[in-house]
Amino acid sequence: MDVGVAVKAALDLNVLRSNPDGTVAVENIPLVISEYDRNAVYEARRIADSTGGRVIIYSFLTWWPADRKEKDFENVIREALALGGDEAYVVVDPTVSGSEPRFTAKVLASLIKKYGSPSLVLTGEASTDMTSSSIAPYLAATLGYTVVTFARSLKVSNGGIVVERDVEDYIETVRASLPAVVSVTGEINSPRLPTLLQIRKAFRKPLVKTSLSELGLSPMLPKYSDYRLVTVKRKRVVLEDGSPEELVDKLVSYLVEEGVLKR
Amino acid sequence: MRVLAVSNSGKYYGDLEGFISRLDGVEEAILVTSDTPGGNFSKIYRVGDVYGDLLARILGEVGEPDLVVGIHTRKVLEAVAYLAGARDMPIVTEVVGLEGMTVTRNILSGRGTAKYSLSPPAALTIAPGKFSGQLSLGPPEVMELGEKPSTVVVDRSEKSRTGVDIESAEIVVGVGRGFKEKDDLKLAFELAEALGGEVGCSRPIAADYKWLDEDRWIGISGKKLRGKLYIAVGISGAPQHIMAANDVKVIVAINKDKNAPIFEYADYGIVGDLYQILPILTRKVRELRGV
Ligand SMILES: Cc1cc2nc3c(=O)[nH]c(=O)nc-3n(C[C@H](O)[C@H](O)[C@H](O)COP(=O)(O)OP(=O)(O)OC[C@H]3O[C@@H](n4cnc5c(N)ncnc54)[C@H](O)[C@@H]3O)c2cc1C
Ligand SMILES: Nc1ncnc2c1ncn2[C@@H]1O[C@H](COP(=O)(O)O)[C@@H](O)[C@H]1O
Repeated sequence: MDVGVAVKAALDLNVLRSNPDGTVAVENIPLVISEYDRNAVYEARRIADSTGGRVIIYSFLTWWPADRKEKDFENVIREALALGGDEAYVVVDPTVSGSEPRFTAKVLASLIKKYGSPSLVLTGEASTDMTSSSIAPYLAATLGYTVVTFARSLKVSNGGIVVERDVEDYIETVRASLPAVVSVTGEINSPRLPTLLQIRKAFRKPLVKTSLSELGLSPMLPKYSDYRLVTVKRKRVVLEDGSPEELVDKLVSYLVEEGVLKR
Repeated sequence: MRVLAVSNSGKYYGDLEGFISRLDGVEEAILVTSDTPGGNFSKIYRVGDVYGDLLARILGEVGEPDLVVGIHTRKVLEAVAYLAGARDMPIVTEVVGLEGMTVTRNILSGRGTAKYSLSPPAALTIAPGKFSGQLSLGPPEVMELGEKPSTVVVDRSEKSRTGVDIESAEIVVGVGRGFKEKDDLKLAFELAEALGGEVGCSRPIAADYKWLDEDRWIGISGKKLRGKLYIAVGISGAPQHIMAANDVKVIVAINKDKNAPIFEYADYGIVGDLYQILPILTRKVRELRGV
């Protein structure tokens, strides 16, 4: 069975930058693979191997400007291919400056329908940058697939799937029919780092780029605005010189001074 | 304006009523819930479980709303986002603020915010605890609805729970992957006891290793802290973890890597091995507090 995976190139949280007016300097922030999408690729590989099929990666570059982001984006897709993808179909379009779930899901649905139409599509539980957790259900409805979100385990059986799903206070085991879109949690598996050989092989796997117009879609201006960084106001006093006893003494006196540690 | 509200628990009715009462010109607010009916809505649909295709069916009966507002829990989020997809509506999740028809949400795993201007029809989920209030549209007529969801629940098991409420604890000691084994966590429990606080943890400690129950899990996908002191021990400082402690008065970090991001988010940090530092800290706190 072929398994599709939606993989996002997300803003790298380790190197966030803002403009002088406090807005996020999207143009200058590198892209990395969205953390839990690795788990999704890894899970897809496992299922494809056990059922005999391909792993197809789908992605839409939403951050701008496309020409400056394209290199990072390609690296993300190559990483997904090294982690277990067989081929990738992606949209890179210079007219895009941001997206929102409704549009992202439309683009992904068009890609999926045009290239391969796998009956199982995996996503991460949430992207590291937009963290909306809404792509999987939105995409499922757009494709007319069933949806199961926050999967901690996933099994294909009797032409359907059995999923252990994390719903806050409970773990629910659900049975759903195929075709389906499933979002996976970070706990579903522990992806290994790709080996050098896997990375080298990834460069020989097909990576097909297409545009919105080729998919018959017109660009959409997202209604998101005013991306801003939250200011973190902390004292950042770092104690590192001295014996452990001395460091702890200093810490304790600071905490007493702050009034958070009382005699 | 017509609003469809969605919840899977009675404890969120006040959040939904609070949000909806802040909107202009709401004439009708229909609640779909899988819990005991309540709140001052115009009408209530009581369902066995909240699902996207079920919401779509209800819309078929009541007509298209201008806004769909769900509480941001996993079940409701899935159902509302699915409904949005089925109706080609925009969706905004985990809304924390509202001004006119512009909503604010957190992005970048808590490190940022973004605004979105709603033009109906639109769907959203609201973060619990950010809005509260009451509507005056009731008393509601209650309808029961049978269902045939496309996903069938075959088993349901409750997660094991410690019962601690770290969200209202004044002092929390957080443990992360810097601890080598489960047994070592006693170092943190001893410190927490000396301080009169509770122990919390990063996601991997609860969800991957299962060393602690998930009600101790701190982060954007776990519990939020708002006490006076948070001591993060052996935790690297991923935004998904530490931004949930942004409202804490004083943050302390103990980490052996001086380049760990946690120091950026801390008021006081000790660069050192937790196995050396914690026993000393516990002893000194005990001496100081006479416990
Ligand atoms: C969508 C999403 C949601 C997430 N939600 C959450 C969430 O709600 N909560 C959460 O916690 N995480 C969450 N995460 C995961 C998060 O990104 C990090 O992976 C996680 O917080 C790391 O946990 P950690 O700090 O315990 O482990 P690590 O990152 O492995 O850090 C361990 C730290 O311990 C230090 N250390 C090692 N040995 C010692 C020693 N002897 N003494 C002192 N220090 C030592 C190391 O220097 C290191 O900094 C989420 C991720 C995603 C993508
Ligand atoms: N632009 C995108 N391209 C491909 N996949 C995406 C994109 N945006 C989101 N996804 C997928 O949807 C998941 C949830 O994203 P989000 O709804 O933004 O939290 C991610 O983990 C990805 O699997």
